[in-house]
Amino acid sequence: MSDDDNHSESITRYEGPGIEERHGIIPTWLAVVYTVMFVWMIWYTVVYWTDKG
Amino acid sequence: MSTTADTMFGDGRSTPRPYATATGELVDRELILKFMTAACFWLVFAPTVGAIVAIKFNYYDFLGHISWLTWGRLRPVHVMGVVFGGFSTAVIGLTYYIVPRLCGVPMYKEKWGHSIFWLWNVFLTIGFISLALGYNSGIEAGEFPLWVSIPVEIVLCMLVIQVVGTIKLRTEPRLYVTLWYLTAAYIWTAMNYAFGHFILPFSMPGVNNAAMHGLYIHYVVGLWITPAGLGVAYYFLPLAAKRPLYSHKLSLVGFWALAFFYPFVGTHHYIYSPIPYWTQTIAIVASMMLIIPVWTVVQNFYGTFVGAWSRFQESFPAKFIVIGALYYFVGCFQGSTEALREMQRLTHFTDFVIGHSHLTVFGTFVIWATAGMYWVTPRLAGRELYSKSCAQWHYWLTVVGFSIMAFDLTIQGLMQGTMLQAGADFVDSMAAMKPYWLVRTLAGITMDIGAALGFWNLYMTINHGEVIPIPAATPVNYLPEPKWS
Repeated sequence: MSDDDNHSESITRYEGPGIEERHGIIPTWLAVVYTVMFVWMIWYTVVYWTDKG
Repeated sequence: MSTTADTMFGDGRSTPRPYATATGELVDRELILKFMTAACFWLVFAPTVGAIVAIKFNYYDFLGHISWLTWGRLRPVHVMGVVFGGFSTAVIGLTYYIVPRLCGVPMYKEKWGHSIFWLWNVFLTIGFISLALGYNSGIEAGEFPLWVSIPVEIVLCMLVIQVVGTIKLRTEPRLYVTLWYLTAAYIWTAMNYAFGHFILPFSMPGVNNAAMHGLYIHYVVGLWITPAGLGVAYYFLPLAAKRPLYSHKLSLVGFWALAFFYPFVGTHHYIYSPIPYWTQTIAIVASMMLIIPVWTVVQNFYGTFVGAWSRFQESFPAKFIVIGALYYFVGCFQGSTEALREMQRLTHFTDFVIGHSHLTVFGTFVIWATAGMYWVTPRLAGRELYSKSCAQWHYWLTVVGFSIMAFDLTIQGLMQGTMLQAGADFVDSMAAMKPYWLVRTLAGITMDIGAALGFWNLYMTINHGEVIPIPAATPVNYLPEPKWS
């Protein structure tokens, strides 16, 4: 079963508006973005905390 | 949806009274349609003022001999008009539709809605007249004088009570992502509006005031326009796509990343200023980290539309949501990278910044609010869209005009920044911008014509659209399914 099949299994329905939502996944490419951004945040904060110039 | 056997108008549809409010209805149709009508007006008024302001860049004498039509008076009317007039009026109206339907109960203190409608619109009108007459508190995006700010603050507090009260009384056990965003937006804004209008103009002189103003103005964008617009878009996204929302998990990441990083971005307007270097660094980092919620939201939106692209042909709300998400991606990436010191050096004091603000405020959030208006208006009016071709013109003139304007402003900003970095005289750099300003004005007028057609069309839909036949025994909260929304 593929990732898509798995994550479509769990669907919540909101009766009032008739909206449905999947429990869903965090795609791999986004997880990579989160990691890269987190590392960049630490690096930039440390390096540019004060104006060394 | 309610399963009660009451008919919508209690008369078996013998008489078409398309927006009469029946006892027991979840939403107040008449109130919401009044808000939609007012939003239609403000969404034509404020961009038109923007077009007049744009013309003055090329023809600086244009309407310049009448004090209340000068650039300095009209520019705040345009900014406050788009933010509080057009966008906010639409969002408040849509809130009265969305919150009760997600909570399964009518709006808490429902009767307040009509007082809020009149207070909001009357004092907005007084506010714009005051700004044109030169009464301005001097805080950008917080420019209304006290006699307008106080009633506006009261309205915001009433809305907080209504939204939170409705959520407290809800029968639906789960809170959909839209409710997180709307609740947060109203609470944050009730606090931020007080900060910008009652504290900032009267305290904290000098650089501290500038730093705090950076926070205020970005809270207007990031803690009002963004969460309110996202709340609206998340509601209509799965409905317009006729597909389940792609990922609840991504909704969580997007919301909390916005809530965590946005409060720190304000100082990025003051890079290289006397404000402490480390606070500038925090603002830059927070701005860049907004890539996380933005890309998360975009994935969630387009992920929802996968397999439902045909809806783009069939539904105007779907069209506006899809194009809004594209502008969101572009505009927010521009905003994040613009905060970096090297990019600030290049783009500060140029129209690159104006391109960014238009891409986000108009291109994204006004367009998403427009999607909501296209969804709600025909359904609550019980009528088909008055003119499909007007709606098509609205969409395409907006897309073409706005895309040209945003691209033009971005390129123009980079050109001017490059000239200044190369040592060009500032006045020479301004003279070189004239052709770009002309393109901006023409593109802006194009999208304004689209807006005028579209919002006139929505107004006409309420009163003159073809009545949608409704079966005799429909539930009390039955909504018809119009053809193009």
